[in-house]
Order: sequence, then C-alpha cells, then structure tokens
Amino acid sequence: MSFIKKRPYLLFLLPGFLIYSLFVVYPIVAAGSISFFRWNGIGPKTFIGFDNYVELFTSTELMSQFWNAMLNSLRIFALTVLVVIPVQIIAAYLIHNQVKGYKYFRVAVFSPQFISTPVIVFIFTLLLDSNVGVFNKVLEMVGLGEYVRPWLGLPQYGIYIVWLMISWSGFGVGMIFFLGAMKMISKESLEAGYLDGAGFWKRLFVIILPQMKVTILNMVLITYIVSMTIFDFSFILGGVSGGVDHNVDVMALMFYRIAFGESNNPLGGNISENAMGLGSTVACVLFVLIFVISMFQVWLTYRRREEA
Amino acid sequence: MNGVSEKKKSATFASLLLWIYSCFTVFVLGYLVYNSLRQKGDLLSNTFGLPKSLGFGTYLKMFTEQKFHHYFLNSAFILVATLVLIVLLASMVAYALGRYKFKFKNAVQMYFLLGLMFPASLGVLPLFLLMKDLSLLNSYASVILVMSAGISMPVLLLTDFFAKMPGEIYESAILDGASEWKTFYRIMFPLASPVVFSICIVMSVQIWNQFFMPLIFLQDDQHKTVPLIVMKYTSNLMLSMDKALTASVIATVPILILFMIFSEKILDGVASGGVKG
Repeated sequence: MSFIKKRPYLLFLLPGFLIYSLFVVYPIVAAGSISFFRWNGIGPKTFIGFDNYVELFTSTELMSQFWNAMLNSLRIFALTVLVVIPVQIIAAYLIHNQVKGYKYFRVAVFSPQFISTPVIVFIFTLLLDSNVGVFNKVLEMVGLGEYVRPWLGLPQYGIYIVWLMISWSGFGVGMIFFLGAMKMISKESLEAGYLDGAGFWKRLFVIILPQMKVTILNMVLITYIVSMTIFDFSFILGGVSGGVDHNVDVMALMFYRIAFGESNNPLGGNISENAMGLGSTVACVLFVLIFVISMFQVWLTYRRREEA
Repeated sequence: MNGVSEKKKSATFASLLLWIYSCFTVFVLGYLVYNSLRQKGDLLSNTFGLPKSLGFGTYLKMFTEQKFHHYFLNSAFILVATLVLIVLLASMVAYALGRYKFKFKNAVQMYFLLGLMFPASLGVLPLFLLMKDLSLLNSYASVILVMSAGISMPVLLLTDFFAKMPGEIYESAILDGASEWKTFYRIMFPLASPVVFSICIVMSVQIWNQFFMPLIFLQDDQHKTVPLIVMKYTSNLMLSMDKALTASVIATVPILILFMIFSEKILDGVASGGVKG
C-alpha cells in the first residue's frame, strides 16, 4: 500500500495503460507475429518464417494488386499535397483576413466533415450517375452534351472520383488547422511586413508560410498516413474488390480483401486458408511504410528545431 | 487605405473559390432534402422533371417500418460511452504524466504517443480474434473499447495542459487535506475543461462517422450504426432510392444544424486542438 502511496501516478496511469496496451499496442505486435505463420484464424497454425513476405513480393497476382493499390494511394497523396493543401492554405488566409462573408465560409466549408462516408459516396452517385446524375444534365444544358459520360462506370476516372470525394469532405478540417496556425503568428511580424509595403499575397509567402512550416509538414504526414489507411470511400464505391479491375483499390482495402475474403461478410464465405497470415503480412508492410516516413518526419522536425 | 483596396481586389478573386465550394455544399444538401420528399417512381423515371407530389411519406416509413431511430440510438450510445471513456482514461494518464515526476517518465510518454503512428485498422485481425475470445463480437462493447483505446492525441494535448499548470494549485489542495484522487477530479480536471471540450469535438466527429470498426465488429443488423445502415440503403438504389435519400437526410441534417448553432465554439475547439496535433 505504501508503495502505491508514494507513487500515486501509478493508479492514474493504470486504467489507460491497460486499455491502450491491450487494444492498440498488442494488436500491432500480434500482427507482426502472426505474419510468420500460415493460418486462417481457426485451423492449425504453422510457423513458416518469412514465407508470407516472400509470397507477397513474388506472386505476380499479389504484386500486381499491391502496386495497383499502392499507386492509387500515392495518387491520392500526391494530388492532395499538390492541390488540396495549397488551396486550404489560401482559403485559410482569406478567412484569417476576414474577407467578406468569412464567418459563413468557415461554417460552410467545415460542414461536410459531419457527413458520413456512405452519404458522401451517395451524393456523388447522385451527381455523376449515368441515369440520374446531375452533372451530365448540367453539361447538356450548357451545350456540352458531347462530354456526357457514365462517369462512375469508367475505370480510368474511378480513383480521381475517390480523391474528389475525400477532398470535398476533408477540406474543412485542414483549413481550420491552418487557420489555427496562422492565428499563432505574432502580430508584430505581420505589422512589420505591412509597413515594409509587402502586398496581400507577398505577406502570405514571405511572412506567414515560413512560420507555418511545421504545421504544413505535419499535414503532409497526416495526408500520407490517411492515404495509406483510407478505406471507406473505395469500399463503398467499389465493393471488396475495389471496383472493376481494382480501379479504386487502395492499400487498406487490399489488406481488408486478403484478410476477410472477397465476400462482403468478414470471416464468412470464401476465405483463403492463409487469410490471417497473409493479411497480417500486408498489414505489417503497410505499418513499416508508415513508420519509416513518420520517423523521417520526426527527424526533420527535430533537426529544424536544433538549427533554430 | 491603399492596403485595404489592394487586399479587396486580390482577395475577391480568390474568394470565388470559397463561393464555389460553399455553394456546391449548400446545393448538394438542398438537393438531398428536396429529393427526399419525392416518391421513388417519380425519382427514378422523372429525375429532373417537376415532382408529382412532395411529402414526408418516406420519413414516416423510415421510423415505423425501418426503425431508423434504433440505429440512431445505437450510434448515440456508442458515441457517448466512447467519449466518456476516452476523456476519463486520457485525462488520468495525462495527469500522471503532467503532474508527477518519476523514473522512465519519458519512456512512458513515448509509449502513449506510439498510437499516433499505429493506425488502428492495421491491427484489426488480432483485434478480431481478441474480441472473439472475449465473446464481444456483435456487441457495443467491442467498438467502444477499440475506439476508446485511441487515447494518444488526447493524452498529448492534456499532458501539455497539466504540465503547464502552476504547482501551487496542487500543493494547496494537498495541504487542505484533499487526497490525490480528489485533487484530480475536484480541482485539476475541471480546470482542463476547455481542452476536454476541444478533444470531445474532434473525437465525436471521428466516432460518429467511424465506418471501419463497426463494419468489422457489428455484423448483425441489431447493433449496426447509422453509417452502416445508410450503406444498406444506398447499395441498391433501384430498390431503395427513396429510403437512401431519406436516411441520408436524417443522418446528416440534424447534426449539421447542431454544428451551425455551436459553430463558433466548435471551430475554435478544432483549431486549438489541431495546432498541437
């Protein structure tokens, strides 16, 4: 008793430590260990060393799925970093400067965050569908009828539509984060720029952006993690297979497909005899991909701090 | 004065972007609501024509036949239970890390931060087996436990808060004879409520819209959450276009209205949570 009395923090740590260890840390460690076994979760479990990894990286079928999903995830990442983040920063800057109607913009832009993914996918179906789609109707009305397409049925557009949906729904959060970072910048440095005669946009590039480097880097990292783990949009739009020829497949969906089988029902139907083993292997590869980049980011941030 | 007019000019053009974005959002929501008042046949065969009739018929059906409120309650229960657990667990851990000094404190802190790099979805296979062993599949507890274990971000934010609190508050409470626990929940925890509020906002959105975990752990219709049940309707539009529309509106509009009422507070909360996270 006196051991605890002297260390009151132990009691405060204990409940959180237990829950967190059991449901966050243990599963990752366990996935690492399961990836060395041949196992379907119910039957016999055979140790096979690195065979799952060898299989993943040498099987033509698995590799083609892997690269396809990887490429799609990277497309989402690249487009978000190159298009969405700059626009978010500009939008945040406008709202920060209180352009006309900024209060209304803040609310309108953040709203889609509260719409759940199935509804978002449904909204885009209503817009882009070949029969009931609004977009085609608009094209016809403005005389661009020749560009009418069954947008959701064309495999080459699939992943970009997924990206559009993600961008529309996630735009507000990033913008609000950037807005928060802008509010932290000291008034003095802004006023100094003002007196130097720096124009509206020059102040953004010369004074504000350099002071937001850490926030921007963090957002890039978050975008990377999200694009590696995003699942809902592709799953709802394209099902377990990720659309025709896996056209909207992403890394997390490929993981789900291998782990839980092609049937829509987890652990039901045609599950492969090595679902647990191979599924865990994909999870571990994904985890390493995220971990390496995160560590690189931490290193970058710390190096910057030491320089400053 | 020169600066003001120059700001106006360059900002107006860029504002166009915000106009387009928000008009699109308003249009989409209006379109959903409008169509949810129409009948199925009318919707599918006469999409862009004038509606034959408008009415709340489908809404009535959603609550009588489809028991939509049942899924709403499921989601609400999971949300509240998860929030309570997250706040409780995270503030206790953060208090220990922020208030006390002890050996290996840095290591413990790092340990709790690992979760920021471990997307929970990657550990879902062992979690699934674990829940099966605990016979928690198809129970609210499975989803609640998994989601409330994700305390890394709240711990980070709250540790910072407790560490910055002046030591005198704590010492005078102890001198007054309050126990460690009482000091925490009577004095320190209430002081943290602005941080707790912003955590609750960010987490609520994530929990309410969570799709992956309920999909894995809640497979019987009884326990399904709102996003899953909406997907049931949207996955076959020929059959249930009207229900898909109505379900989408019911799942979306009340929450958006709540957001608009409290938007000022919510947006400030999100912004202050984001700078650190």
